Amino acid sequence: MVTVTVVTYLMYRLAKRIGGKWNYPLFHPLLLAPILLIGFISVLHITADEYLDASKWLTHMLGPATVAFAVPIYKNLPVVKKYMSTIIISITSGTLVAIFSTFALSKLFHLNVEFITSIMPRSITTPIAIEVSKEIGGLPALTTVFVIITGVIGGVVGPSVIKWLSIQTPIAKGLALGMGAHGCGTNKALEYGEKEATFSSLGMIFAAWITLLWGALLIPALINIH
Amino acid sequence: MKFGVIILQVLLIHLFLFLGAAAKAIIPLPIPASMFGLAILFLAICLKMVKLEWVEKGANWLMAELLLFFIPSAVGIVNYDEILSFQGAEIVFLIGISTILVMGMTAWIAEKIIGKKRGGRHDDGNRNRRNVLDVSVGKTNWR
Repeated sequence: MVTVTVVTYLMYRLAKRIGGKWNYPLFHPLLLAPILLIGFISVLHITADEYLDASKWLTHMLGPATVAFAVPIYKNLPVVKKYMSTIIISITSGTLVAIFSTFALSKLFHLNVEFITSIMPRSITTPIAIEVSKEIGGLPALTTVFVIITGVIGGVVGPSVIKWLSIQTPIAKGLALGMGAHGCGTNKALEYGEKEATFSSLGMIFAAWITLLWGALLIPALINIH
Repeated sequence: MKFGVIILQVLLIHLFLFLGAAAKAIIPLPIPASMFGLAILFLAICLKMVKLEWVEKGANWLMAELLLFFIPSAVGIVNYDEILSFQGAEIVFLIGISTILVMGMTAWIAEKIIGKKRGGRHDDGNRNRRNVLDVSVGKTNWR
């Protein structure tokens, strides 16, 4: 377990350093580090399940990491209150676009039911996405994979979307990154500045809350339509 | 020393995850333990039961290293052959299109609303208040 943790941490540091040096989408730490690690475990003949079991506690840290977001909310309480309506309206729209576009495209591509239920909560942070996935009958492991793909893609396309639409305000930039790419978007938002990062984490948290609501009300109805 | 402080604070934050799990067991709502934990920690800080300094460094570390906690699950992709096949390319395309739509819509709507608010603010003379708030945001220490 210790070896796996140390190696994972070193690969993560290495990937972050490479990603920081050459700012190229394919060098995203969430892409590079897993590729390095898959190489590492296949050389040592460790199966993916053995690796996952040994590194379980790292994934478990997503729980306290979610709790930790109480701190930025508290520190930015005046701003949260001030922009409450902006946050709620834009994030509610974002969650609806996420759910409907994901559903429509999954139908278009004829994904099977297992994949559709697992892909629906893909736009929110992993621990909550897993809960929504369980709620609507998806496979949590598969949902995790879709959440990761969303994060990597969001981190890559996010800055381009902001540029295309010539978005100026740090609030809109942050909310879009947090809504579209959860924690990975917030990570990207840190590169823009503190205000963007603050609103990105707010966007991420509100997206999770609102999607929980849709998980109970809207998504089951959608899936039953066929 | 600094590392010890972070570990202690992460453990304290963990305690709130457990409290969240306890709340989840009592309250029959489909809300995850971590969300209950977030709410309880938030209330505890608001009610001054927990000082911000007790959790701030640990929380900042957890948020800064968020990507690290995703990596094992990302390695788990190898367990899904479909993802690495043609369907995988379709799914990446699907997620890409949907994510562009989501981000575009969110940013556009937020920008519209802020634009309207800013437009009105010139008249009611609230500009100074906004500047004060901007400073308070600038002070937050993320790393």
